Amino acid sequence: MPTPLPDHARDESRFQTAKTTLFVDRFMTVFIKFGGALVITSVLGIFVFILLQIWPLFAPARVTALKSVNLPERKFALLGMDEWGAKPFLLETNGRMLTVDADSGAVSEVEIPLGEAQGTPITAAALNKREQKIILGTADGRFVIVAPGYSSSEQNGVQSIAINPKAEPPVAIGLPGVPIVDVAYGDSGTSKLVVALQSDGEKTQLTASLFKRKRALMGRSKEEAAGSFDLTALVPGRPDKILVPGTGDSVVVLTESGSVCYLALVGEAFEVRQVFKPFEDLPEAHINAAAFIFGDVSISFASDSGANRVFSLYYPPGGSKRTFGLTHEFPPLEVSPVFLVSTLRNKAFLLGGGGDLSLRYSTTDSIRWQERMPYRVANAVISGKYHRLAVLDEENRLHFFAIHDPHADSGWKALFGKIWYEGASEPKWEWQSTGGSDDFEPKYSLVPLIFGTLKGTLYAMVFAVPIALLAALYTSQFLDPRFRSVVKPTMEIMASLPSVVLGFLAAIYVAPLIERQVPSLLLCVAGVPLVAAVIGFVWSRLPIRFRKLIPPGWEWIVFLPVLLCAGSLLWSLGPLFEAVAFVVTDPATGQKTADFRAWWPAATGASFDQRNSLVVGFMMGFAVIPIIFTIAEDALSNVPTPLITASMACGASRWQTALRVVLPTASAGIFSALMIGLGRAVGETMIVVMATGNTPIMEWNIFSGMRTLSANIAVELPEAPHHGTLYRTLFLGAMVLFLLTFAVNTVAEILRHRLRERFKTI
Amino acid sequence: MKTPTTSRSDFISIRDFCFFYGSKQALFDISMEIPERQVTAFIGPSGCGKSTLLRNLNRMNDLVDGIRHTGDIVINGNSIYDPHIEVISLRKRVGMVFQKSNPFPKSIYENVVYPLRVAGQNKKAVLDETVERSLKGAALWNEVKDRLHDSALGLSGGQMQRLCIARAIANRPEILLMDEPCSALDPIATVKVEELIQELKREFTIVIVTHNMQQATRCSDLTAFFYLGKLIEFDETHKIFSNPSNKQTEDYITGRFG
Repeated sequence: MPTPLPDHARDESRFQTAKTTLFVDRFMTVFIKFGGALVITSVLGIFVFILLQIWPLFAPARVTALKSVNLPERKFALLGMDEWGAKPFLLETNGRMLTVDADSGAVSEVEIPLGEAQGTPITAAALNKREQKIILGTADGRFVIVAPGYSSSEQNGVQSIAINPKAEPPVAIGLPGVPIVDVAYGDSGTSKLVVALQSDGEKTQLTASLFKRKRALMGRSKEEAAGSFDLTALVPGRPDKILVPGTGDSVVVLTESGSVCYLALVGEAFEVRQVFKPFEDLPEAHINAAAFIFGDVSISFASDSGANRVFSLYYPPGGSKRTFGLTHEFPPLEVSPVFLVSTLRNKAFLLGGGGDLSLRYSTTDSIRWQERMPYRVANAVISGKYHRLAVLDEENRLHFFAIHDPHADSGWKALFGKIWYEGASEPKWEWQSTGGSDDFEPKYSLVPLIFGTLKGTLYAMVFAVPIALLAALYTSQFLDPRFRSVVKPTMEIMASLPSVVLGFLAAIYVAPLIERQVPSLLLCVAGVPLVAAVIGFVWSRLPIRFRKLIPPGWEWIVFLPVLLCAGSLLWSLGPLFEAVAFVVTDPATGQKTADFRAWWPAATGASFDQRNSLVVGFMMGFAVIPIIFTIAEDALSNVPTPLITASMACGASRWQTALRVVLPTASAGIFSALMIGLGRAVGETMIVVMATGNTPIMEWNIFSGMRTLSANIAVELPEAPHHGTLYRTLFLGAMVLFLLTFAVNTVAEILRHRLRERFKTI
Repeated sequence: MKTPTTSRSDFISIRDFCFFYGSKQALFDISMEIPERQVTAFIGPSGCGKSTLLRNLNRMNDLVDGIRHTGDIVINGNSIYDPHIEVISLRKRVGMVFQKSNPFPKSIYENVVYPLRVAGQNKKAVLDETVERSLKGAALWNEVKDRLHDSALGLSGGQMQRLCIARAIANRPEILLMDEPCSALDPIATVKVEELIQELKREFTIVIVTHNMQQATRCSDLTAFFYLGKLIEFDETHKIFSNPSNKQTEDYITGRFG
């Protein structure tokens, strides 16, 4: 008979799980899931936020129709608009102005007080956008400059625009009494150049009148006629249209055969600088419309067939004078263009013909907006703020549009492509976000910044990887474990050094030191590893009696003093080396000087800056070395001991074991170390900001600076207006940086996985 | 102490050998002579010092921190502690197979030729010949000849251990040390390795550490019994197992302790 179970054995509660255990278990499951979801959501949130910030950079212009106003049946010589886009005017040939209120559509009439020219038919008119003035040419050979006299006042929060035109006295030009068919003027502030084309069917004359303005100490400045020039003979062919830049020092004349004649005022006379045909290669070369683009350096031409090209002034290779050259070519308009108007805000222009309107941006060769209207267009004007558009059709209706195009100068091509900027002699990748004048083209190419990031990373890695990996290998495989336990924490402390301290050190101490001691540095870079190799060789050839004196892992006791002596000797030999190898002759005085800073530009043609890639590589190396070292050392130390003993038992030396067994087995971990180091170098900001000079140039020259994506954000963000193009471009830079590290990390993870599969140990 | 006579009876000569891990003494005055081309088994309870002695024969203990020894070990007339001898050349002379198989994370081929590669031999003909000879010697050739360039880590436990034996004999050492080579293997793989040991003793002097008494009787010619760091008895295997002269030996082999 079995013995009865003892009481404690009947107690079932010992098989039950404690309530707290179950609670903690469930709570942690939910809590960790929640935390994980939160992390993923916030990362995605940041991603989406950046995406929303950069999206408008790639969006086209939005142009929306506002209102159409019927105008009385009249003949209009000119269409203009105030800077607010609220009250465009139309100039009648009889000298009256019609103004149209953009809000109400009300049309009113104003008489221009033309003085003694009152009543004379107006035969030509042109806008001077820069001066916000109008020039009129009369049938009796005189010109009048008129200021529309827009003024803005605010009452009860409602803005009202008033117009009060004022005319300067009429001035006769060229042939007396002959009607002016085209007129234009430029005003530089000290001089004014008025050019008029006169024709009465038989005679044609092109006249330029120069006026100099003398600044008076008191009262108004006085204008004096400083010469009149008959330009008719200089132009090959019949002149058709005149363009005068705001500088008032040259004239561009378009002829009926499609030639463009560029005349420059040199001293007291005009000379022909260039004659070219913008559409020479096309069957129909006639120029239908042309206009200076904001800045007056580029002209956009439209041919009869709808072809559209922009020519800019630049110094051609080898040339000493600026001439026009084709810089941008746009897709042709399907219909024959009738007008081409530019803006006062940026490099945009509007091309119109038939029913088509096409808003184009010169710098980036892009069509911002294009649409076919249900009416035939005759003329148009864009407001000074580039936010309103008024289009006149052939049935005398005025159509208002709102332009929403805050990032006209952006887009794929501007951000990543080569762009032919005004004044440049070739297309380039360039970053220069701000300039000195309003008509400056901001240059937003991210390519130099990506290049700078890669350059900085490369030089840092070239410096850091050999040192960090060899140090890790030595520490884990050769050094006595007692020293290892000192070296490793020391390196980890080094990793926690704030990068701003390193950057500060780089800029204030290392950069000036390296600048003066490049030959010393070169000697050390070449010499120290060589000395190390020689010491190793000598050591291995020493009889075993001597080698036995130093226990394994203590060899550095012999090695270090020798190396330090060699290093300091090489450093002090630097000036001598410089005197022998880096002598440069001053071309002006013929004096010979030994200076590497002068020798490098003379020998290689590349520049030498104090804040250069060498300094960055050196200091960023300092930031990267501890990271690579620590992780690589861990990976190397974690190689299973049985593998090392097996290798030793096969008769391998410590070095062979390290190289043939330990290194491959730890390769996945070492690869991780390199990638984390690379990530640190790519994203590093403070050191680069402080030690590179932040020059967004594209050259591999080790003695020049760079600008990285991260440094660019740090440097430019304080100057970037909220939601401006620069602001968004900086976010795009952040995105590119993110994608760069993402791509690198993904590739690294795949490779690391493969390595781990290949070298996994049992 | 009686030593059986074969080709050279004092091929490995251990003389008054004491060994210390730091302050702890692991071996006490061991003196013994291991004959050439015989299988000598070291038996004894855990911690008796048999593995320590084995690992001293090719100075693998040098890798451990804070070790010390007195006495001497002489192989074929040369002291292994002679300051003129490189420990690397000693290890080429004395191959070793470990308790846990430890193939490198390389191909089967590269595992076998590793001792040759580190010795600077890179001629393909020599390497190929060595692979075939060593794998045949380790009775593994037929199983792996079609996948020599596959990873060694895809082999079974028994195959891996035979691969390690093949690697140990690749450079034709004189002595093969085996530290409990079958302890992690199943019975079938164990039989294969034991048969292999019988084959190998024609060419190599084998010293094997084992916990398995049957294994010692099956494959060794001589047996040494260690207890608490001392050599208790060393004699022909059949003598030790049938008629031990020492009471402790008898107690151990009959299973009273250990």
